[in-house]
Amino acid sequence: MNVIEAENLSKIFRVRQKEKGLKGSVQAILRPRIQEIQAVNDISFSVEAGETLAFIGPNGAGKSTTIKMLTGILYPDGGRARVLGIDPVKQRRRLAYEIGTVFGQKEQLWTHLTPYDNFRFFGAIYDIPDPETERRIRKLADTFELGPFLNTPVRSLSLGQRIRCEIVASLIHEPKVLFLDEPTIGLDPVVKEHIRSLIRQMNRELGTTVFLTSHDVGDIEKLCRRIIIVNSGRIVLDDSMEHLKYHYLNRKIVEVKLQEEAQLPAPEGVTFLKRKGSHVKFQVDTQKLRINDALHLIDAENLEDINISNIPLESIITEIYKAEGREEKAV
Amino acid sequence: MKKYRVIYRSVLMENLQYAANIAMGFISFSIIVFVFIQLWNYMYSSPQELIAGYTKSQMIWYVLITETIWFGTPSHVVTRQVAADIRGGNIAYLINKPYHYTLYCLAKYTGGWSVQLPMFALTALGLGAVLVGPLPAFHPWTLLAVTPVIIAGITIDAVLRLCISMISFWIEDSNPFQWLYNKLLLVVGTIFPVEIFPEVLQPFFKFTPIYTVCYGPAKLIVDFSTEKYAEILLAQALYLAAACGLMFFLYGKGVKKLYVNGG
Repeated sequence: MNVIEAENLSKIFRVRQKEKGLKGSVQAILRPRIQEIQAVNDISFSVEAGETLAFIGPNGAGKSTTIKMLTGILYPDGGRARVLGIDPVKQRRRLAYEIGTVFGQKEQLWTHLTPYDNFRFFGAIYDIPDPETERRIRKLADTFELGPFLNTPVRSLSLGQRIRCEIVASLIHEPKVLFLDEPTIGLDPVVKEHIRSLIRQMNRELGTTVFLTSHDVGDIEKLCRRIIIVNSGRIVLDDSMEHLKYHYLNRKIVEVKLQEEAQLPAPEGVTFLKRKGSHVKFQVDTQKLRINDALHLIDAENLEDINISNIPLESIITEIYKAEGREEKAV
Repeated sequence: MKKYRVIYRSVLMENLQYAANIAMGFISFSIIVFVFIQLWNYMYSSPQELIAGYTKSQMIWYVLITETIWFGTPSHVVTRQVAADIRGGNIAYLINKPYHYTLYCLAKYTGGWSVQLPMFALTALGLGAVLVGPLPAFHPWTLLAVTPVIIAGITIDAVLRLCISMISFWIEDSNPFQWLYNKLLLVVGTIFPVEIFPEVLQPFFKFTPIYTVCYGPAKLIVDFSTEKYAEILLAQALYLAAACGLMFFLYGKGVKKLYVNGG
């Protein structure tokens, strides 16, 4: 069952332009010049219940605009959206009861209040009876390990603690769909990993659909089973994470340290990335040359150390962005 | 309504933590009140003299009341903050909750003045009692009857300020409009009662927010009459209905034009 449906969704921002200097300022008053920016351009996709979807793209690709249209914050200029069968534009407040949002760069908590008071506040906002709010606070505080700082004013919490509280505040009404916009931004690796495992747990136990945007490949790789890549307001890839890796991980990176400097042959399928003394790094296209054959290029007697790895997902995504950019220029 | 009560309570809790900071505002309040007391002491040759129908005591208490309302109801929540939320896009993170944004702002504003106004009222009462003396013919019941008028006046003021802030949906900066409204309210109605101004202007003032926001409540306390009370209550009801209608209309239109930086 689809919980999110976007059909030909478009959004145009009209931005006032101003030439430089005083003359430009006067001109901007007399003859205002408006530039239209197509933030989202005719995108369509759907998300099934319980899915964890990564919706990614470079800055200005239209990710946050799409989230804001799906949550009813922004009005689309074209197309239609349905979240849990609800039209976000016409029934934003009704939809708010069913969804949760975490914007990593924005606080929704009241910083002078404690997390407990904040959760009570959000419970009331979502019309949850007090005893039920108390039960949910106990459960979520336990899951997200908030006990030690539940009664500390939010302004005194660390960023990691605050983000955990932000997520709990978004879950207090048990939303069916959770929109996470860069939830781990600015966090250290340990806290990031902790938050990811909590999101995974929530998805597994409550069946919450997770719609994630992030620039952090770790978030995408560890949380999501499906990935949509957007660039310049268009979808450039919609695939399962597994499929993406299978298609793009046909290249292996081989790093070797030789005992003595030596020249390695370069047959078709091998691209040298770095040669520095006895250190050599090359890429093997396994569709052209088997990894086994590539390894035979190295004199085993001269080998001191070797490391074979997949291309990082980050590089794959960058490559997809760049490929799309080249296609656009060609058009 | 429970959710707006909770918003109000949360702001109240927040503000109570800053009671000491609020008390710092008493210094400038006391200075201004002192200046006005000296001014009117100089203007009146005798306590029985009437200026624009006010005795000296009535005139000073009028200013004390309006200045208390002015200082006790800091408007940044419904002015600068709303305008900044709209211009900076922060409003996007406030409107995706199951409440009406404008009522959320009003509840926050009410939570703010609920702490400050009583504190300033007590200060004004102390200053008035020491420097001016009791208001002649004043009955405590008057205060009880006028309290709803004061609250309605503050609410009308907040709704009108919210309407002005909503202009930010269309233009870059709504502050010049807030400035004009502020000055109108401050000069005509807060520092001076309406009767001080030329008679030809007075009927016009009746149709402005001055009559319902500051003049009405203060006038009723210093010179209560049932007819005036009914007249001001009716004007407030009409003003509140029209201002709320305008606020919901502007918000409904404006939010469709919302442009949020970074999406």
